[in-house]
Amino acid sequence: MKNSPMEALARNSMLILWTIFALFPLFWMLVISFKSDAQMFNTTFVFDPTLENYQEVLIKTDYFKYFLDNIIVSGGAVIVSILVGVPAAYSLARFNFRGKEDLAFTILSFKFAPEILVVLPLFLIYQKIGLYDTYIGLIWVYQLITLPLLVWVLRGYFEDISVEVEQAAQLDGYKWYQIFFRILLPLVKPGLVASALLAFIFAWNSFTFPLLLSGFKIMPVTVASLRYIASDTVHYGQMAVAAVVTATPEVILAILIQKHLVRGLSFGAVKG
Amino acid sequence: MAHIALEGISKSFGKVQALRNIDLTVRDREFFVLFGPAGAGKTTILKTVAGIEFPDAGLVRFDDEVVNLVEPALRNVSMVFENYALYPHMTVYDNIASPMRSPLYRKDEAVIKQEVQKVADMMGIGSLLERLPSQLSNGQRQRTALGRCLVRSPRVFLMDEPLAHLDAKLRHLMRTELKSMQAEFDTTTIYVTHDYTEAMSLSDRVAIINLGEIVQIGSSDEIYYTPRNEFVAKLVGEPEINLVDVDLVSREGTLCAVFAGTDRCLPVNDDVAGVLSHSTIPKWRMGIRGLNVGYCFTEEENCVEGSVYNLEPIGNKAILTIKVGESLFQAVAPNDLRAELDSPIYLKLDMNNALFFNGETGDFVVRHNQAELVRGR
Repeated sequence: MKNSPMEALARNSMLILWTIFALFPLFWMLVISFKSDAQMFNTTFVFDPTLENYQEVLIKTDYFKYFLDNIIVSGGAVIVSILVGVPAAYSLARFNFRGKEDLAFTILSFKFAPEILVVLPLFLIYQKIGLYDTYIGLIWVYQLITLPLLVWVLRGYFEDISVEVEQAAQLDGYKWYQIFFRILLPLVKPGLVASALLAFIFAWNSFTFPLLLSGFKIMPVTVASLRYIASDTVHYGQMAVAAVVTATPEVILAILIQKHLVRGLSFGAVKG
Repeated sequence: MAHIALEGISKSFGKVQALRNIDLTVRDREFFVLFGPAGAGKTTILKTVAGIEFPDAGLVRFDDEVVNLVEPALRNVSMVFENYALYPHMTVYDNIASPMRSPLYRKDEAVIKQEVQKVADMMGIGSLLERLPSQLSNGQRQRTALGRCLVRSPRVFLMDEPLAHLDAKLRHLMRTELKSMQAEFDTTTIYVTHDYTEAMSLSDRVAIINLGEIVQIGSSDEIYYTPRNEFVAKLVGEPEINLVDVDLVSREGTLCAVFAGTDRCLPVNDDVAGVLSHSTIPKWRMGIRGLNVGYCFTEEENCVEGSVYNLEPIGNKAILTIKVGESLFQAVAPNDLRAELDSPIYLKLDMNNALFFNGETGDFVVRHNQAELVRGR
């Protein structure tokens, strides 16, 4: 495809516009986090930067406890999803059993049920069976977010590997678990890494579930950020700090895996 | 080295019956070819022997031991898959080395290196060992798969169209190579192909498979000279055998074959006539191969008049199609033959090589010199 200079110009300016549109909220958040409450509403880009908000949030509150909670819950959810999702994806790809497509669709449908719709009955159930405000309870409910992604991406990867490759490995004298770790796992790795990290980010961002299904013992940062809204005033600076710190791991992860993310989600396991 | 027997093997995939009651014995150290059209069930038979498909009914025996419940890995078989089934993330070297690194057939890395190099050189891929399968051409992939199969010394080699993706020249070369390797390895081999030249040249014995059933088992001579029915006759040989409805008429004491649209009498050999005249079959069909169809441009004795329908040069020879009455005959002609389309031509059939089939069932009945041609096989 040949581009005329005009076309290139138009294309690039659209991209630049989009970049500004996408990145400005992040930038604005960063700016606010350095503003004192006094300058919050009467300055835009010119102000006296201060670290007061950071001091206030990171040192004087339990922020790191919330941060750790988020890591435990999101990380735990992704680990459980991998343990459950890899075999599930494999069986959906390889075996024919009754209700296979229904099952696969049910798993997918978790993804498009609005959280706010399912969270109320879950709240009542969790209260009754004692899962409310526990790590296990949150990790469990996070499966609604992380599992479908993993299962559907990996199913495609497993389907791309021909059965004969596994059969050849059997005839070469390998046991099923050796076939899995030596042959299958390396082939689905790009998909596994990409979908697991994406699932981690979704879990990390989750707000509705932890807001309603956990109380004071466990509080991920997404929920904890709300505490900077006091009854009389909103501490925008402190909220911004909480948000900046929360977003940092995601941004770093996304930048690190950017290449794999695009490849992993768009390519199959076996090229050529 | 093993003697392999399939007894009453049936297998279906959903509603499709892939194999129906297959009985088959492969002798020790035999090169056994499964030959048939696409979708006949050849690969399924191979996979049943390997143990990666389970028969719905029937027994698989290795040296009289029933192996139905033996895991594929423990059967000690080595297979080339039609789609290569190479490990995409491993180099050619690691692919070929894979069987020797598994817990069952483990060898030293030094031995592996030596063996891989040997096999790779034999396959002509010695310089490609560091490449990944995605960086190879189809022919090179196929040779890698063949190498991975041959690097071991299993009880039986199973080969599913291992030469199908090679170019014609290389295929010819590898065919010869395989034949001599077979003699050297001295191992039972079951070989699947849909190419009749491979089947004829490599095999000790051939099994013709169609629609999940065995049609005929025999040496390549038996298959070629006395095909069990018209299906087998058509499968073997290029150009395809000419089949034409004939009436058997007795004229002046000799039995003649007369085909539609002519009144020319083609005398049948005495030994054949003996069988034919005692038969009660009402309808006959005669098969005659392109090689045995002669032609001339002037009328001679026992010639049938026809016209040139088509002349197709195919490199080292030409296929001449002659129209006689309503039927078409294909004959093998030298490449430099020149003939005007629709010009008159005379057909001279070599009745010594005519095959007679039951016109209703398509089953083979008799040919000249039958006993002698397939003797001692």
